[in-house]
Amino acid sequence: MFELRTDSRSAWDDQDEAVPPDSWGRRASPGRALPWGFALVVVLLVVGRFTLASRLTAPALQTWATVFVAICVQALPFLVFGVALSAAITAFVPASFWSRALPRNPAVAVPVAGVAGAVLPGCECASVPVASGLMARGVTPAAALAFLLASPAINPVVLVATAVAFPGQPMMAVARFGASLLVAVLVGWLWLRFGRSEWLRVPARPHGDGRKWTRFGEAMRHDLLHAGGFLIVGGLAAATLNVAVPREWLTAVADVPWLSVLVMALLAVLLSICSEADAFVAASMTAFSPTAKLAFLVVGPMVDLKLIALQAGTFGRAFAVRFVPLTFALAVLVSIVFGWSLL
Amino acid sequence: MNRVTQNLLLTMLGCAVLRISAFSSTYLNYVKPGFRPFLIAAGAVLVVLGLAGLLQAFRSRGSSGQEEPRDHGDHGGHRDHGGPGDHEGHEEHEGHGDHGDHGGHGHDHSRGPRVAWLMFLPVFAIFLVAPPALGSFAAARSDTPPPRGQALSSFTPLTGKGPVDMPIGEFIGRAWDDGERSLTGREVRLTGFVVPSKRKGQWYVTRMQIACCAADAFPLKVAVKGLQAPPENAWVEVVGTWIPQTFGEMPNGVVYPELAGTDLARVDAPAEPYE
Repeated sequence: MFELRTDSRSAWDDQDEAVPPDSWGRRASPGRALPWGFALVVVLLVVGRFTLASRLTAPALQTWATVFVAICVQALPFLVFGVALSAAITAFVPASFWSRALPRNPAVAVPVAGVAGAVLPGCECASVPVASGLMARGVTPAAALAFLLASPAINPVVLVATAVAFPGQPMMAVARFGASLLVAVLVGWLWLRFGRSEWLRVPARPHGDGRKWTRFGEAMRHDLLHAGGFLIVGGLAAATLNVAVPREWLTAVADVPWLSVLVMALLAVLLSICSEADAFVAASMTAFSPTAKLAFLVVGPMVDLKLIALQAGTFGRAFAVRFVPLTFALAVLVSIVFGWSLL
Repeated sequence: MNRVTQNLLLTMLGCAVLRISAFSSTYLNYVKPGFRPFLIAAGAVLVVLGLAGLLQAFRSRGSSGQEEPRDHGDHGGHRDHGGPGDHEGHEEHEGHGDHGDHGGHGHDHSRGPRVAWLMFLPVFAIFLVAPPALGSFAAARSDTPPPRGQALSSFTPLTGKGPVDMPIGEFIGRAWDDGERSLTGREVRLTGFVVPSKRKGQWYVTRMQIACCAADAFPLKVAVKGLQAPPENAWVEVVGTWIPQTFGEMPNGVVYPELAGTDLARVDAPAEPYE
């Protein structure tokens, strides 16, 4: 349906009285030239592969490129999976399902949605599009946000990985589960009480009335292009920091208890490691206290560079500037309480 | 970004993913081997999605486009399509008003967001830079000690004759944590790449260990003594015996187990560069 746009635009160009579409005048009709442009790009890529690749060999650049590609490649299947699930929610699940499945009272729906996060076995890249799909389907934003925060941290895959990474410390996985769920529910409730609807942009989706599969494809394409671009932004930032900041700087502060918790929390934000792998990284930070490691595990799946980019892109900047600091502060506080009482 | 570009972008990204996963083992430079089916599936989904979109775009270009503009014209009001899902349509349009700053995300869904152009970066990176596995640069700059193996007492005795092939991680585990000291007097063969050491008379045979992807890699290093250092980053097989540490307790700072090298051979980089 939308693909007719190029043709319709060129048809409109001739009519002076027609209201110009918003993209009017941004570029000359590129429609027909484009495939040839792409053919050229592909040829350049093939030529460049054999001429340039052997010259781009500075070790720092290569390391950066490897980490960047690794973050993208590793996140992409989860993103595609999450986007497919989200598109399926919008295309195949009727809106009435959610009003029946979730408790009517939003204050009760928040913890229910948080616990429901345990069933989505993925990392944080998958949860953002799924949460936006839920919102687009009329689920209370606060409940969808609780789901968004809880699911990457408390699903079985991540908990098993945590238990494996901390042999002999089963309380670490327990504390991670408890602290993450508590933070998700608290943030959900706070958003319910103090959040304003104008802060949150419930993502627009192409809602054509074509066949279900066409709608499914539309929704997937739309989400992939939005979330994918921001995932790249996050990947660029994370790769740069990963290569530019020596980790020894951070271990130098490991001895100061309060500072070490904050540093590990910040490190979780900067490194943007997938929640399925972060337990292994946390375990390798042997200089830090268990509470600091717990803060790393609780903050990481909820706030990190690629997530901030994804959330800002999906729900709007006004949302991200409020949601991210709130989540970060609560995650640090709750980790300290859990770490102090359990570990 | 118009419709054709969007779909070509998805197709190219899918091709790039398939190229490193289905048609070569390059993906092993970035992620764990178990990731392959997911990568292939994701790449295939992207290619199918992109090609289907292209097909739609070209097919509808042939037919007349009279109905669609009207559909777009009252997209904002959306009155024509009543029904159960209608209220959410209004919500999202209200939300849009405040966020005109967000590039390209207007009502017109045929134009993707500007940020989506960035998705060409990994495509270019894969085809142009072809990033190799992490090497001595990455290994030299992060000195965090790797996590210890799970069970401290589960090392099986080393049997058989001649040098035992052993992952570097296992060697480190046996060197530090094995109560039976099973490495004592045994010849072992380690495979890894060369990282120079600041201390004289030794170098490190190194393997990166990844938990999920190369972003979380940390180096597993064994200090080799008694052999001339090969060039940095070269892949080698080292045969030697463990030098038991002389200190009783682990000292502070990062220390590496030591190997008295007896034999050295240059080898090709393995397909699976990480442990």
